[in-house]
Amino acid sequence: MSAKIRCLVILAALSAIPLISTGCSPGADEQRGQDLFDLHCALCHEMPTPDLKKQPPKLEGLFKKATLPSGAPATDQQVRKTIIEGIGTMPAFDQRLTSKDLDDLVKYLHIMK
Amino acid sequence: MKYRTLLLLVLAGALLASSCQSKSKHYDLKGEVLDKNPATNEITVKHDDIPGFMPAMTMAYAVKDQNGFNQVQPGDVISAEVITANKGNDYWLEDLRITDESGRKTAKPAVPAHHLDIGEHVPDLPLTNQDGKTLHFSDFKGKALLVTFIYTRCPVPNFCPRLSGQFAKIHDDLAKTPEDYAKTHLLTISFDPKYDTAPVLRKYGLAYLDNDPSGFAYWDFAYTNPADLRKLADAFGLEYYEEENQISHSMDIVMIAPDGTVAKYWATEWTTDELENALRQQAKLGTTPPGRRKQRKTG
Repeated sequence: MSAKIRCLVILAALSAIPLISTGCSPGADEQRGQDLFDLHCALCHEMPTPDLKKQPPKLEGLFKKATLPSGAPATDQQVRKTIIEGIGTMPAFDQRLTSKDLDDLVKYLHIMK
Repeated sequence: MKYRTLLLLVLAGALLASSCQSKSKHYDLKGEVLDKNPATNEITVKHDDIPGFMPAMTMAYAVKDQNGFNQVQPGDVISAEVITANKGNDYWLEDLRITDESGRKTAKPAVPAHHLDIGEHVPDLPLTNQDGKTLHFSDFKGKALLVTFIYTRCPVPNFCPRLSGQFAKIHDDLAKTPEDYAKTHLLTISFDPKYDTAPVLRKYGLAYLDNDPSGFAYWDFAYTNPADLRKLADAFGLEYYEEENQISHSMDIVMIAPDGTVAKYWATEWTTDELENALRQQAKLGTTPPGRRKQRKTG
């Protein structure tokens, strides 16, 4: 491979890095949503706690099914409602999260693995 | 053979010990010290968010770093490591460092509030239950009463959701023995009377009663006005702080004998079985033996 072609290959590879990065990494909103999830949701949904009336469900792939664990439709609106009002033994996050917080949380729940 | 068995036991023990140790978790804490309790080696810290462990709140932590505990004073800004074990049920501070002592407050002389001793009568303050009905502690005379305090929006699973889960288990067990069910009662009182109105408490209670409202005849969910809540908290030695729609509080359970006197306190350490057995025994025993001093810890 000549020096010119090698240089072009390297340049092409370098120029592709931002595209690859954009495709794989969460955006700023999703990252913020993950931080909020770790702070407010992971305590219950990620770590089993003894003595709870009911162990909260894991939330990976929440939007991949037609319905939420409650049986309600798996829509952004329904998830926001559940977070604000609570459901069953899940506490309400009313007055504790802003609209932007809810937006980012829902965005993260869409990509959560 | 004997030695091999012994060796296997030692190895199994070592593996178990290492697996238990590996379950402890470490988190960074930063915050301001509001109070210090030498009797329990605890400090009350108004801390920032601790991702994965606790949102920003004010709560008491035991300090295992004795040198750090001796030096720290209310008003200090600190950093420390929160160590958790036993699935987060046990937690304490280590590596406590004072990062700013410019706000240090001069130590105030401890003024012991009068908490009710074992055998003392509970003040007959009014409460409003999940149906909007007014209750008094005297309404439960003749029954052994187990009381705890929660708020429905509590997001920390080891606090209110755990307490209510334990009460739900006790309720379900008692319902299986009609004789004890008839002689006992559960009472959950909200720290958050502004938000936890009767309809909110009814919805909350139903979630813990498997949506069967007949359970309310044996388990009330109630609130009272802020002034009486403070009086009750003082009487039972509860601590709570409200800030930014969140309430930091100690975890306490009080058992009241059928004669309306305090029979026992639990703070931070108990099991569901222990509470249930004590309640059943108290229902059979009736009154509280007088003169016993209460044993309590803050949580």
